[in-house]
Amino acid sequence: MSEYSEFVRQYLTVAIFAAVGIGLGAGLLGLGRIFRPVRPQEQKYLVYESGVDPVGTGWSQSQIRYYIYALLFVMFDVEAVFLFPWATRLEAYSTFGLIEMLIFVVILALGLLYAWRKKVLRWV
Amino acid sequence: MLVNQFLFLGAVLFCIGVYGVLARRNAVLVLMSIELVLNAVNINLVAFGAMWHATDPANLSGQVFALFVIAVAAAEVGVGLALVLMIYRNRQSIDLDEVDLLKG
Amino acid sequence: MLAHLASFAWDAPSVDLHALAPEIVVAATLVVVLVIDAFTGEEQRWAASSVAGIGLLVALVPVATLAYDGATRVMFGGGYVVDDYALVLKALFLLSGYVVVLLSTNYIAEGDYWEGEYYQLLLASVLGMMVMASARDLISIFVALELLSIPAYMLAAWRKRDLKSDEAGVKYYLMGVFASAVMLYGMSVIYGYTGSTLLAEIAPRIGELVTSEPIITLGIVFVLIGFGFKVSAVPFHTWAPDTYEGAPTPVTAFLAVASKAAGFVALLNLIYVGFWGRHDVYEPLMWVLAALTMTIGNLIALRQTNVVRMLAYSGIAQAGYILAPLAIAGSSPEAADQALHSIVVYLLIYAAMNLGAFAVVMAVARKTRSAEIDTFGGLFSYAPGLTVAMSLFLFSLAGVPPAAGWFAKIGIFQALASAGDTSGYVLAVVVAVNSVIAFAYYGRLMRVMWMDDVPDGDTTPIRVPTSITAALVITAAVTLVIGVVPGVLTHFTDPINLLALGR
Repeated sequence: MSEYSEFVRQYLTVAIFAAVGIGLGAGLLGLGRIFRPVRPQEQKYLVYESGVDPVGTGWSQSQIRYYIYALLFVMFDVEAVFLFPWATRLEAYSTFGLIEMLIFVVILALGLLYAWRKKVLRWV
Repeated sequence: MLVNQFLFLGAVLFCIGVYGVLARRNAVLVLMSIELVLNAVNINLVAFGAMWHATDPANLSGQVFALFVIAVAAAEVGVGLALVLMIYRNRQSIDLDEVDLLKG
Repeated sequence: MLAHLASFAWDAPSVDLHALAPEIVVAATLVVVLVIDAFTGEEQRWAASSVAGIGLLVALVPVATLAYDGATRVMFGGGYVVDDYALVLKALFLLSGYVVVLLSTNYIAEGDYWEGEYYQLLLASVLGMMVMASARDLISIFVALELLSIPAYMLAAWRKRDLKSDEAGVKYYLMGVFASAVMLYGMSVIYGYTGSTLLAEIAPRIGELVTSEPIITLGIVFVLIGFGFKVSAVPFHTWAPDTYEGAPTPVTAFLAVASKAAGFVALLNLIYVGFWGRHDVYEPLMWVLAALTMTIGNLIALRQTNVVRMLAYSGIAQAGYILAPLAIAGSSPEAADQALHSIVVYLLIYAAMNLGAFAVVMAVARKTRSAEIDTFGGLFSYAPGLTVAMSLFLFSLAGVPPAAGWFAKIGIFQALASAGDTSGYVLAVVVAVNSVIAFAYYGRLMRVMWMDDVPDGDTTPIRVPTSITAALVITAAVTLVIGVVPGVLTHFTDPINLLALGR
């Protein structure tokens, strides 16, 4: 049971921290609210976009060609997950580990080669 | 080592994911629900892995399994998004209820 | 934690290159096809199919040398096993892969398809199946399953700009991914309560937990259900007919035969090695799945008007027959042995006869551009060879001698009877009743082919491409030879002994 109360105590710290954070933010904003003058104007409620008048809605579709980049990024990014544990113990794995990882990376590189030859990497 | 809260979180995520798969009609949201189930699996695996690691330091299967789940899930979702994109190009909609040319 | 880990000594695992040679050959072929596809123009794309076919045949050479050698090779701490059982199934996957390449050659080249990638994905999927045959670890089973499934999702949607093919792919994908997610949840629970992903280590611990941990039952059920989707067992079959109809026909043949066989291989590995001690869980589950699958598959097959859909539902029914022996596998060691053999034999025969049936459908569809049953009317009057071949395959599927199917069915009955308890006998009766129902729809297609008139009066002979002829000859020869001389097959399947290796 002591292990459990230890666990709860750790969360208590988190809860106190969160309460103080929210309290601080709300308190300061409330303080500003009390002291500053309030004169509502329609222009003040416009969306501020670097001083330029906003055009269109907030929802806009991004170009579909980003999709392939995103996909390639995700694939290679995720495969890197296998490199990190390997890298921490490279000395122990020595030649064997190096060859194994070389095979892995070469096969991944083939995928990139394929994408390049199929002209996926070119910005159209 | 306490694992119950992690398992509980995993079970809740699993249930939300299954509900999403069954109830949602938007293909992208169904994909996201499947990701939720996979993340429930990862939470389970890492929690169990840490538990076994505490008793037997050489037991790391849970963590390794989780790495494989992450990598394979990325490949799965890549294919899934490609399929959804193809459906969208061909019929301008990703509502799964409209995908009903073939009747099982 | 990392600093702590760094203190472990680490020995390189011994890698037996001979045992891995079949997989390495297929992987190398895959790389070659990828390079061909990336660096040649549209005119040389045909090379992809030749290279893929040759690669699959070359991979049979190490399978044969390993079988001749006969030793059981265990690698990676028991996670990867190459024994007679694995080798027979690897040969099955390679040969079905080769026949599918033969079926695809003309179909893919003439239609609106990406050609190079098609063979890459096919090879990747076959590679996954070969790994599955040897996998004895939850992680490698999972990776093998995804390696064989993910390319299959894409292949099902391979027909460009075709709404039905898109739909086939999406349905297959969503059901498959959801099933594998549920299966993974089960695997995580099993790992959590046994502390190991090795099936051989799970088996003893899972037996000890019988009474204390009901959640382990949940884990086992989730994992088995996940593979129930893969083998299209009722009630998890809903994707199968739609996907089979919408996908390109060679892909349908591949899914119906190789992919389904891989699902059964995974079930065998899991049940015989990992979950062996929990027959109180898997036996009732398999009993219900088998009975439902064969009955519902057959009843819906009766109503089909499209040959591909009919074959899809007949394949579901056949999956029910193959599941049946698993329902009694745990009752005694003899029953387990019988069940294992009957399933492997059934898988081999099923592959030959079903691929053959799809080959005929493809050959006929080249002329009629349709797979409706009516378009097969009067086939005998203008394509007698194809009609005889189709009749052979239908006889085999129905279980009529001399085609091979009867031997497969007898094996199922023997296995069910060997348990010697009521549940086995009742299931045997269900199988028998279903075999009779199945005569109705196989017989209807036969009657249409032999007796009906040609629907549009066009009796110009069908020109069958060489590759499809080759596929037909291979499958018909296998079906006939095994049907007449079953000893040819049992010579390969008799040494199989899964019980000895995992435990």
